[in-house]
Amino acid sequence: MKFIINRQKLISGLQDVMKAISSRTVVPILTGVKLEAAKEGITLTGSDSDITIKYFIPAVEEFVDKKTDEADEEMDNKKINAEIIQEGSIVLHAKYFPDIIRKLPEETVEIEMDPQLKVAIRSGKALFHLNGQDPDEYPLLPELQTEDSFELSTNTLKALIKQTVFAVATMESRPILTGVQIKLLDNKLTFSATDSHRLAMQEIPVDDAQTEITSLVIPGKSLNELNKILTDNDEKIEISVTNNQILFRTENLYFLSRLLDGKYPETSRLIPEESKTALQIKTKELLHTIDRASLLAKDDHNNVVRLTTNDNNSAEISSNSPEVGTVTEEIGIQSMEGEDLKISFSSKYMMDALKAIDFDEVKIEFTGAMRPFIIRPVNGAEILQLILPIRTY
Amino acid sequence: MIQLKTKGPRVIFHVDMNSFYASVEMAYNPRLKGKPLAIAGNPEERKGIIVTSSYEARSKGIKTTMNLWEARKLCPELIVMRPNFDRYRAASREMFKMLSDITPFVQPVSIDEGYMDVTDSLIDGNPLQIAHELQQRISEELDLPCSIGIAPNKFLAKMASDMKKPMGITVLRKREIQKILWPLPIEEMYGVGEKTAIKLKKVGVETIGDLAKKDVYELKQILGINGERLQNRANGVDPRPVDPDAIYEFKSIGSSQTLPYDTTNEKEIQQLMESLCNNVERRLNRKEAAGKSVQLMIRFHDRKTITRSKKLMNYIESKEEILQVANELLQLHWNGEPIRLIGVTVQDINEKQHIGKQLNLFTYEKEQDREKLYSTIEDLSKKYGKNPFKQWKKEDDQEDQPRTSFQKDFLDDYKR
Repeated sequence: MKFIINRQKLISGLQDVMKAISSRTVVPILTGVKLEAAKEGITLTGSDSDITIKYFIPAVEEFVDKKTDEADEEMDNKKINAEIIQEGSIVLHAKYFPDIIRKLPEETVEIEMDPQLKVAIRSGKALFHLNGQDPDEYPLLPELQTEDSFELSTNTLKALIKQTVFAVATMESRPILTGVQIKLLDNKLTFSATDSHRLAMQEIPVDDAQTEITSLVIPGKSLNELNKILTDNDEKIEISVTNNQILFRTENLYFLSRLLDGKYPETSRLIPEESKTALQIKTKELLHTIDRASLLAKDDHNNVVRLTTNDNNSAEISSNSPEVGTVTEEIGIQSMEGEDLKISFSSKYMMDALKAIDFDEVKIEFTGAMRPFIIRPVNGAEILQLILPIRTY
Repeated sequence: MIQLKTKGPRVIFHVDMNSFYASVEMAYNPRLKGKPLAIAGNPEERKGIIVTSSYEARSKGIKTTMNLWEARKLCPELIVMRPNFDRYRAASREMFKMLSDITPFVQPVSIDEGYMDVTDSLIDGNPLQIAHELQQRISEELDLPCSIGIAPNKFLAKMASDMKKPMGITVLRKREIQKILWPLPIEEMYGVGEKTAIKLKKVGVETIGDLAKKDVYELKQILGINGERLQNRANGVDPRPVDPDAIYEFKSIGSSQTLPYDTTNEKEIQQLMESLCNNVERRLNRKEAAGKSVQLMIRFHDRKTITRSKKLMNYIESKEEILQVANELLQLHWNGEPIRLIGVTVQDINEKQHIGKQLNLFTYEKEQDREKLYSTIEDLSKKYGKNPFKQWKKEDDQEDQPRTSFQKDFLDDYKR
């Protein structure tokens, strides 16, 4: 194996696959990153057996470069990322290899393997010899044979993740709740997550889905990593599913995650259908008020804040920590329907929910001080944030 | 709320019940009076040790923490009883009630001793007279002996109560400390334990007087900030007020147990974990509190001890929740070596009235049935002040025999 590669390309590829590599793994070879050189380009692979990430660097990249300063003429451009001199593959320790590449002096790096699995890394006058491991020992990645796939734009997928994944459980007491549940029924895709104290859900329409998914649960950790790797653009991402794995694939990226076993609790019936009190409030204003009110209750007492409706189209947000002090702030309400209300809730849950809703105004529907309440954007997407209140003694 | 006037000289009592557990047993069964009696942890098990003993037993050389077999060798006619914590708790409660009849400034420090600040109660008589009446009342109504120390601060009162036992009343004036306190060997000073005493003797401090005169700088070198504090006390200075609320300041609740033998048997360990979590739950319950951090202590066969803890997002109080976290810690940190002792402690504790309960999506409907009740309570509280209701708790009896660190639990009964 021998190739010369653009160092920046290699660095960004390594950054992505490193997200799957853990130094604590039961299979020792998985502490390494796998490099494969073929005529078409270089493939990097990292895995912790729960998540596998493959990143492909094409040897030659063709792209359309729009030049606006000259004529409205589109120019075809070719960019050479790598020159493959000899095909082959190797596994290199992820603790050393990425750091070496990052700190090399020149724009390109030459990587050459000898028959003893020793790898020479050259850039400018720097020369490293790194002991490699046999690529045949690297576990074979499952080939997903499935027609059950659908497509989303990367932007949409990232939004779905951001609006739900924060609500997954972090405690292992109910492992299934550490994941995000996904459903695809009647051309509607639903993401929902709950840690049993709050629930985040979003639904979007999907055109011509080839498949239906009644329920599958992706570990929250996988989605967090995926979100970090994906860049914000409207490129298509293909999602395919088997019994126990899910694959996200873009042109150069292959992200495979294990699914969580077990039955996800039925959440839709837990969402109240009618409300006793409904408020419309400016999202940012409410967020900032809650943020201020939570200052006193920082780590203590569940971070409780209290909301009390007033008569004159306003509400009061308050909090008190016996040892620290108290705070109250009046907040304007766009409109209010129904009964007066006094309710306590976790400021953290409320802020998480409001941050996930990217709309100017929210409608909050309450059904009593001891029942879940729902936050939705006033006009817009099918986002639903549900929070269970705190009962004060 | 009542406030203690802070200015001027004070009159502090330290009331110390004499061999409390043994005395309570004798009050229950007068035939035991005048006989050598010992209360021991677990008479059957190999690690049974003496918790307390009557004066008759002490005269034969029986000491607290002595092994049972050792004690029986010294005194073959020794009567050994298991502790009856309910009796002691009940007696303690009555005793503290009597103290509270004299002044609201009563600070219990354990089941059988407490401080009182009687400065403001002196209109009713001189201190000696008040102490005498109190001692008589405890003796007549509860049939229990006590010693009382009278002094201008807590430390001196504590030292004074120790000077005449049983049924003593000792006044220790500040001007008398050179004569009475200073000649005492350093290990008899309250606050000086075995290790501190060894350190002090190394630098030539043999008596309380030596400590009073020792260079502060040198003391700080060997004992840190405590060195200065101890020296102040030796000089009769102790600014700590009698704080009736001190008993409510608890930060953790735990339960630990030594196994009769070292074990690696997971089933046994699991059983022990469950019973420990059960204890912790019950005690949290009694204090109407919840915590949000769990600590697990493991002592191995070679006495090597580790403690590991985990912080949580929410307050927990139930056995299941505590056990869940404790087991997580056990899985993570137990290396498989034989275990001698396990302890489970819930930390970062708060009284429930100060914390809310985060409702759960899957269980909130159960709580809801009580919603009406709570809103009624709230309405009435608005009208009549603080929650006029108290949840009725079933008095748990035999089951509720604390095993370790029970000393402070009785305090829950006080002032409820």
